[in-house]
Amino acid sequence: MECPFWKFLTLSWKKKEGSGKKDMLRTLFAFAFFFVSFSHAFSFPSKAQDDSGRSLEILQAPGRIISLIPAATEQLYLLDAGDRIVGVTIYCQRPSQAQTKEKVGTVIDVNIEKIIELRPDLIIASPLTDHKQIRKLRGLGLRVETFDAPKDFHGLCESFLTLSRIIGKKRKAEEVLERTKRKLEAVREGIEGDAKARVFVQIGANPLFTADEGSFINDLIEYAGGINIAGDVNTGIFSREEVIKRNPDIILIVTMGIIGEREKETWFRYKTISAVKNRRIFTVDSYRVCSPTPVSFVETAKEMARMFHAKQ
Amino acid sequence: MPLAERDTPFEDSKTCPCPKTKIFSESLWMIKINNLSCGYGKEVVVKEISFEVKKGEFVGLIGPNGSGKTTIIRAISGFLLPKKGAVLIGGKAISATGRKELATKMAVVTQSPEATPPFSVEEFVLLGRVPHWTRFQFLEAGKDVETAEKAMALTGISRLKGRKIGELSGGERQLTYLARALAQEPDLLLLDEPTAHLDIGHQVRIMRLLESLNKEALTIVVVLHDLNLASLYCRRLVLLDKGKLRKVGRPKEVITEEIINEVYETSILVKEDPDISRRLVFPVH
Amino acid sequence: MQSSRISTWTGWTFSLIVILLGVVVFSLAVGAVDLPLRKAFFLLTKGQGTPEYTILFEVRLPRILLGFAVGGGLAISGVILQGMFRNPLVEPYTLGISGGAALGVCMNMVAGGSRILGPLATPISGFLGAVGVVFFVYVIGARGGGIRLSRLLLIGVMVSFMASSLIMLVMAVTKTEDLHGIIFWIMGSLEEPNSFLTRAVTFISLGGMVLSFLFAVDLNALSLGEEDAFHLGVEVERTKKFLFLIASILTGCCVAVTGIIGFVGLVVPHVMRLLVGGDHRILLVASYIAGAAFLILCDTLARVVIAPMELPVGVITGLVGGGVFVYALSRKGYSF
Repeated sequence: MECPFWKFLTLSWKKKEGSGKKDMLRTLFAFAFFFVSFSHAFSFPSKAQDDSGRSLEILQAPGRIISLIPAATEQLYLLDAGDRIVGVTIYCQRPSQAQTKEKVGTVIDVNIEKIIELRPDLIIASPLTDHKQIRKLRGLGLRVETFDAPKDFHGLCESFLTLSRIIGKKRKAEEVLERTKRKLEAVREGIEGDAKARVFVQIGANPLFTADEGSFINDLIEYAGGINIAGDVNTGIFSREEVIKRNPDIILIVTMGIIGEREKETWFRYKTISAVKNRRIFTVDSYRVCSPTPVSFVETAKEMARMFHAKQ
Repeated sequence: MPLAERDTPFEDSKTCPCPKTKIFSESLWMIKINNLSCGYGKEVVVKEISFEVKKGEFVGLIGPNGSGKTTIIRAISGFLLPKKGAVLIGGKAISATGRKELATKMAVVTQSPEATPPFSVEEFVLLGRVPHWTRFQFLEAGKDVETAEKAMALTGISRLKGRKIGELSGGERQLTYLARALAQEPDLLLLDEPTAHLDIGHQVRIMRLLESLNKEALTIVVVLHDLNLASLYCRRLVLLDKGKLRKVGRPKEVITEEIINEVYETSILVKEDPDISRRLVFPVH
Repeated sequence: MQSSRISTWTGWTFSLIVILLGVVVFSLAVGAVDLPLRKAFFLLTKGQGTPEYTILFEVRLPRILLGFAVGGGLAISGVILQGMFRNPLVEPYTLGISGGAALGVCMNMVAGGSRILGPLATPISGFLGAVGVVFFVYVIGARGGGIRLSRLLLIGVMVSFMASSLIMLVMAVTKTEDLHGIIFWIMGSLEEPNSFLTRAVTFISLGGMVLSFLFAVDLNALSLGEEDAFHLGVEVERTKKFLFLIASILTGCCVAVTGIIGFVGLVVPHVMRLLVGGDHRILLVASYIAGAAFLILCDTLARVVIAPMELPVGVITGLVGGGVFVYALSRKGYSF
């Protein structure tokens, strides 16, 4: 390829009178040819290893795991696989051991170089992770498994089991789930017979955001013995007037710092709401509610049940 | 007409043979305007005008403001398309001639525009060589540089060649535009009020230069507002009045008290200078 | 004088290429992960499969290549449009191209085009959106024979605003997951996993460079004004159409792949005009190289400033580009 190519290129550089057009075309052609061959020298692998990367049951359990979901990080520790974690996001704060792990980015945007340097066997991603980056990582031959946000408690457990199967800790998962389900039963028995409280969950301010029907928070409230007054809408944006109209007994503010306190004050202006009248406005840690593991789910349900059915 | 063969402004010159042209016919006519009507938008500014300009003539277009002088120049140059009638350059209709081809034969000096392109005088004059380049030519050849230098010498701006256009005075800028037109090596030169906004020194300089160029077979059509300059330098005058042709002929025939007073709606005196036997116009106080 | 001009131009081109190469080497050497560059040659031949090789040649190099293509492409689009419109505030996005592309991508997300066309859906929809808007602006601006530049500009700006509003409408009603995708696309990024797209953009960008160079002399004439250019033998209407087409397609392709990266098409032509002058024969070449170097540099900075997190490259081009722009304008003797 080399020899005749160079000859061709030098040919086109000879300046001849009156054949400017031909020279031009020759140079263009030579350039295009050169460029195409140059780019092939750097052809980047673009085929992902589909088959072996996609099957859930594998022979060798992944030993180096990067988790891009805080909830997944927590779940890995529950499965006694915390030592296998080599990279996490900056939001993976629980358990406290996770804070010592190498940071590779945020939930939405990760640093590909760092990930490659850590040589992971498995990367756990969420739908929030940048799609282009997921494709890039898969294109480089890395295994990326995406876990959708769970819609209810059942989905949460399924997700947990799937994760355990991938890393080969199925038995441990089943143990944890057994215990969790028993605890949940206990909570349910505890509130048996009590009237269901009507709850409004606020997970965002400006605009006012609540948990719609597709969110697992619905489930959380159910298990805690309450009804989500926004359980019938399919989009999270809610109007304050609607809340006043539906008149919840309890307002639950899923906090993100000081915004929670300010929102509480704002609600106190609307004195017709039952929750305001009875001063039943509570704040809950957003991390617990929004990044659940089966275990934290039950803990949160227990706490909520106490809030909903407290003897006034 | 190769510029290199032209002499400097103040020397006597020999007339050169008619230039050999590939496309233009051997006819005597440089410009033929047949029944031309043109204007802007719906407005018709020039109404059914016909006249001819012979090769080697020095014609002045005069008339009051708004009589259509600039419009006619635009029609001849091809920039404005006629609504009716036709313009023929060297026997061939403008609409049938390629843009580049026309630009090698005809150069236009418009009224100096406000835009100041970021070029030096030399680069600006060299742009006049562009019509002579092929599609794939990008650099100036030796011949181009030579021609540009000659054009700058003719107009007397060689000493300004490194300066930016924006830094020049009005008169210097006008000369630069003229130099660029000359660098095109045209057979026909159209000028629209080249002496507007210039001091008398520059006015005379430009007219004398045009006169000497015309002696070397460059056909010139110039729009002038100054009737005396027109009378002194042009061999033939075309007087326009509200878009129509009022009078065509030698300055003696066109510049008369009766005609000028009527067209310009004023009162002036016309006297003939016996030494140079030319008519001169004097406003009445 | 003639030869000194050619040698000046050669000097500029050479220095700019050296700067570009320097920036490329810098970009290869620097990143979230420390890699000593002297190992690069060793890695090239023996290191395939190691993380270092992957990072150097499959993560950083593709970004550099894309930065080269898009930086150069956007810069010369800016040169073409500024020369055509004789207006220093015109840039590739003024005509509504960015709005159209973003709108196209939003529509694609809402309509779920990715399910049918896969990862190519976003760039295709972005390109169609960009070209569609430009076509719309052109048709309206070219009414009544001939392209009236001032009208084109005005319509372009209006359409841009309309597109922004439509995009905000779409963003207000989409799900969170899609929403962040749109926002990130709009912020612009040189991350492109599909190597076919990277190569396609590079090819188009270089092709655009060559084509516009053929019009360099015409652009010089056009900068004198349309009437003067006409008298110099330029087919003004046809040339304007062609230049407009080149600039639009070039920008559309760049935006379709990388999202909206601002300031490159505005600042680079200006600064280069200050440095090398207004002759398009050197300005086009110099702007291409400078634009490429600028974008690669900004992307490198975006990657390392707050590592391991990455800033959107548009932030850096905005800050650095904006700063340089203000400085350039404040210098005396600047004439457009």
